[in-house]
Amino acid sequence: MLNKYLSKETMQHAKSVESWEKAIAYAAEPLLEKGVIEESYIKSMIDSVEENGPYIVLKDYFALPHAKAGVGVNEVGMSLLTLDDPVDLKGNPVKLFLVLAAVDSSAHLEALSEISEILMDDESYAIFLSGDLNDITKLITKGDD
Amino acid sequence: MYKFLAVCGFGVGSSMVLKMSIEKAAKERNIDCEVENTDLSSAKGSNADAIFTSQELGDELKGSTKSPVFPIQRYMDKEEVGKALDDFLADKK
Repeated sequence: MLNKYLSKETMQHAKSVESWEKAIAYAAEPLLEKGVIEESYIKSMIDSVEENGPYIVLKDYFALPHAKAGVGVNEVGMSLLTLDDPVDLKGNPVKLFLVLAAVDSSAHLEALSEISEILMDDESYAIFLSGDLNDITKLITKGDD
Repeated sequence: MYKFLAVCGFGVGSSMVLKMSIEKAAKERNIDCEVENTDLSSAKGSNADAIFTSQELGDELKGSTKSPVFPIQRYMDKEEVGKALDDFLADKK
């Protein structure tokens, strides 16, 4: 399920980025290219952090940028950016940005709960934090054989 | 059975993850509860037994709900969420 969204096409790795805003835009780029989201969705995700605070940092080093379902979103999508150097997101160092694009309140839930289960597991989380996309791919395709 | 709300700005992403953390922490504590995730505006006027959300959104919610509001900093941190549940139970006694 998860590897339907997180694939070589939608996962990126970088050493560092200038700012959390740039990190969100960069992380979302594959979805923009695929037509999953519109440019406006990237702005909405950034505005949301300004308006609602940094609660998208769901655990240390991990952020889930997202905005309103179906607004600037054409289909369900996820994309991942892993960083070597953490970037500051309003007082929180972040190394993993998982962009979530939802169309309604349900279509993305299975994939979201799947990735949450993985990230709540300390061993798997360490693999995500390492930033190695091959290892991450192995991890998220494991359950689908 | 308790009714809890997990709240974020849009009710589709972070609040869903928070709902999972609450359910896990509640299970460990044998708390019988039903958790619903929702957005900020739907949470206003709710009659849930407790509302879990971020500090910022919690400040906005206070005053528009009678439910006790528990701020959570890390939605995916089962231990932090568990502590909030313990606080909720302590208040109940």
